[in-house]
Amino acid sequence: MTATTSSATEDLADVTRVLAGDVQAFEGIVRRWQGPLVNMAWRYCRDRGRAEEMAQEAFVRAWRGLAQWRRESSFSTWLFALAANVFRSELKRFPTVTVPFDEAPEPSAPATQQESLSKKQNHEVVRRAVLALPQRYREPVVLFYFHEMDLAAAARTMGLPEGTMKARLSRARDLLRRRFPHLGRLSADLEIAALNQGKEA
Amino acid sequence: MNRDKTDNSQMDSSAIDNILTNEEELVPSSGFLASVMERVHEEARTPASIPFPWTRALPGILLAGGVFGWGAFEFIRLGIPAVGSIEFTPPHISAALERPLEQAGWVALALAVSLVSWLLSRRFAGQSGV
Repeated sequence: MTATTSSATEDLADVTRVLAGDVQAFEGIVRRWQGPLVNMAWRYCRDRGRAEEMAQEAFVRAWRGLAQWRRESSFSTWLFALAANVFRSELKRFPTVTVPFDEAPEPSAPATQQESLSKKQNHEVVRRAVLALPQRYREPVVLFYFHEMDLAAAARTMGLPEGTMKARLSRARDLLRRRFPHLGRLSADLEIAALNQGKEA
Repeated sequence: MNRDKTDNSQMDSSAIDNILTNEEELVPSSGFLASVMERVHEEARTPASIPFPWTRALPGILLAGGVFGWGAFEFIRLGIPAVGSIEFTPPHISAALERPLEQAGWVALALAVSLVSWLLSRRFAGQSGV
């Protein structure tokens, strides 16, 4: 039995118990999905405290609407779609503070002494720039990479056809490429610098 | 030339893919599970909200609506000619308003009836809710 099948079986068993009145059985669901949901929320807002608050809200909504899971799709698909709705509406109510997309700083060239730190910082600049993308392109990017570049899973979470998702993703990448034209070269430089550092060590 | 452009674009794409895919995993804080379960238990303890007793309230709402509608209709029907017939010479004012005032009494009565029906419907709703 694979891990996914096992998780699906456990999810189904826990949902059945919760619907039969066993509140404590919901703990199994939270235990299994707390990591993915907090990480998903983090990608939406890049604020740890807020990510946990939003993930908690998503779990509470899941608890309230558990009977609405029709079991046609997997529990995780239903949970992620519900969480995406919660995160979207939470961020609409209280948007995250981001710099405008055009003002996002260009990643800098690596300093000789601090390649690793510089690399981390530059990557964070790009990740934060995603949050400054226009709304219709931001979420496809967030979900596509959250689902480890599984287009179908991201489309299911957003409730969009795969074609629409693909088009939005392509446009988002164009925007990011235009904003960070030296990203490829810079990334390669950083990789080489990191390798050299490794050899020296 | 074109090939260079394509290669550059692919490199940019893969750099973006690389950065956005390889994020460090965030581990939920130790109290996260407990706080979620606390909220779930709170939710479970909260009694389900009482549905509004539409079947009981509907006759009252219809009656109130009808009375209000009729009152508004009468008010407009009688009020507009009364306003039109107002003369600005003081001796004629009371004579001109005598009949509309009588009609206004009827309108007030209609409003009182609708108020009573609204209060009754509220009372019924209160009884069914408890």
